[in-house]
Amino acid sequence: MSWLGVALLLCAASPSQEGTRQAVHRAVDDLKGSTTTSANALGRLARKTAGIGGVNGVFTRYVAYGSDQLPWLRGALGGSTALAETAAQVGNADMELAILRVAGPRLQAASFGNILLAVWVDFLNLADTVLDNCPFYSVERLLVDMKRVQQLVVPSMAALASQDPERVEAAATAMPELMGQLTDEFGALRNGVRRAAEGYQRSMVAAQIVEMITMISAMKMSFSQMPPPPGASVAVGAGALVMESGGVMLGPRIVVSAEWMETVRRLVQAGVITLPVASAALRINAGRLMMAQTGGDLPKGVRDALGDGPEVRGMHETGKAGAGMAEAPRHHVLPQEYRAWFEQRGFKGPMDIDQFCVRMERAQHEAIHGGGDWRLGRTWPEEWNQNVMSELRTIESNKGRMLTPSEILGVVADEMRSYKIPMNFIPGRKG
Amino acid sequence: MSDGDAWRGNWLVRLRERVRDRGYTSVTAFAEARPTASLAELADELGQDIAGVQIHKVLVDEAERNHKMARLVRGTLVRKFRDWLPQGWPASLDPDVEGGDRFKVAAALGGWHSYSPIPYRDPVKRAGDILMANPPPPGWYPKGPDDELLRMLIPDDEA
Repeated sequence: MSWLGVALLLCAASPSQEGTRQAVHRAVDDLKGSTTTSANALGRLARKTAGIGGVNGVFTRYVAYGSDQLPWLRGALGGSTALAETAAQVGNADMELAILRVAGPRLQAASFGNILLAVWVDFLNLADTVLDNCPFYSVERLLVDMKRVQQLVVPSMAALASQDPERVEAAATAMPELMGQLTDEFGALRNGVRRAAEGYQRSMVAAQIVEMITMISAMKMSFSQMPPPPGASVAVGAGALVMESGGVMLGPRIVVSAEWMETVRRLVQAGVITLPVASAALRINAGRLMMAQTGGDLPKGVRDALGDGPEVRGMHETGKAGAGMAEAPRHHVLPQEYRAWFEQRGFKGPMDIDQFCVRMERAQHEAIHGGGDWRLGRTWPEEWNQNVMSELRTIESNKGRMLTPSEILGVVADEMRSYKIPMNFIPGRKG
Repeated sequence: MSDGDAWRGNWLVRLRERVRDRGYTSVTAFAEARPTASLAELADELGQDIAGVQIHKVLVDEAERNHKMARLVRGTLVRKFRDWLPQGWPASLDPDVEGGDRFKVAAALGGWHSYSPIPYRDPVKRAGDILMANPPPPGWYPKGPDDELLRMLIPDDEA
């Protein structure tokens, strides 16, 4: 299950915080399930001494490359769980959403990473079967094939593994095109094996095995559309998608349900996922014909249904470049001079204080000082840091025991509202 | 609202204009007409480009000039109630008791402390300690700076 499932579960829940929390946990569990499926397949391949484990071990590095992705995938899911738990306890709707938005890139990275890993496992299974059953296909040629495919996979996988919001978004939006390329590679490899098999007596058995792999692969949706119907042009653009009452249609086929669209629309409007990423997911669902069309916008009706609108585009811009904020310095809302204090209270790993930064222009910091001789502090961010720390320490002393991360973020949410600093977090850097 | 609008341009001029446009002669007069609103709510009423902390800074300034600082400090706790204890003082400070909550009381009193001018921080700290050691009845909610209990805790400034 992909993040599409995450999206569905997130919004299938009632508006209550409890329901959302449970939905996030269910969604993460599902993503863990698909990671486990890939992990099991990789484990099985790693234990083989014949097939992909034979030929002097020249293919084992490809299996290892797949296994190497498992730690970050599990880490991203664990991080999402931790963030979702904190979000559920914070008791402030704006902050809850802001924390879920911090989890957004992780969930997206894990979902698209799972898809990419499943496809890589498909290639490993195909190679294993060819090595086991198809002596007529040259090992050298298969090595070259696998190296070429890996080179396609590596840049996107690395971007997803970084969990950096901007790199994840770039990789996710490029995924439909990549999936199209990988589908083509898979088809070419399969056809190569089939051609090599021609003339060999027992080739039918091998060819059948290859067909079987094709049918069970993660890409079977794409292959079910091959070959294109006689006379039909493959040049079906994204413009062929139509939003109807039952969902998004590509000809007679339902690409995604209306429920899926409604769910994603809400998440896009909440800023948990971005419109380009939602579009990429839709394109992947639409399959090979769509992926081949890298250009071509989705039709307006479909974009609108995904939540496109000036507000969402504005949100996107303020989160990224645009609105004159791209170069504005990032500031930790949890002062980094007190990093150790926050670490002691649970701000580490996915909850690291570096995750909770905001952009503020220099002029804006200085403006906070303007027009008065205050008794209350100095300038932003010094004033902010002093006030927040003084407040947190007093509250903790009143409480009589250590504050939890959600309590700390609740206090910070209240202060951000008083300072009217929008709750759009971006990751910052140590410094 | 776009990022940081409240901190663009000369917010002090903007804030005074908004208050004047609404017929008040001072920010204090505007705020006193809404004694139970939080600072953020006061700001929202004046516009998305005004921040609660800006209003508070001007309130401190005006209170200092008018020698009404103790009154402002009492009013600040009322505004913190709106943020943290909208249902009033909890049934218990023991979080394990039904209706009990220690953190929100701690947060309201901690916010009160950090929004108090430095000369008032010790009295405010003592007042908070007294409230926690001798909790007022469940549901207690001061409605303004004239609240009887608050006046005992933070008496008016000596003339």
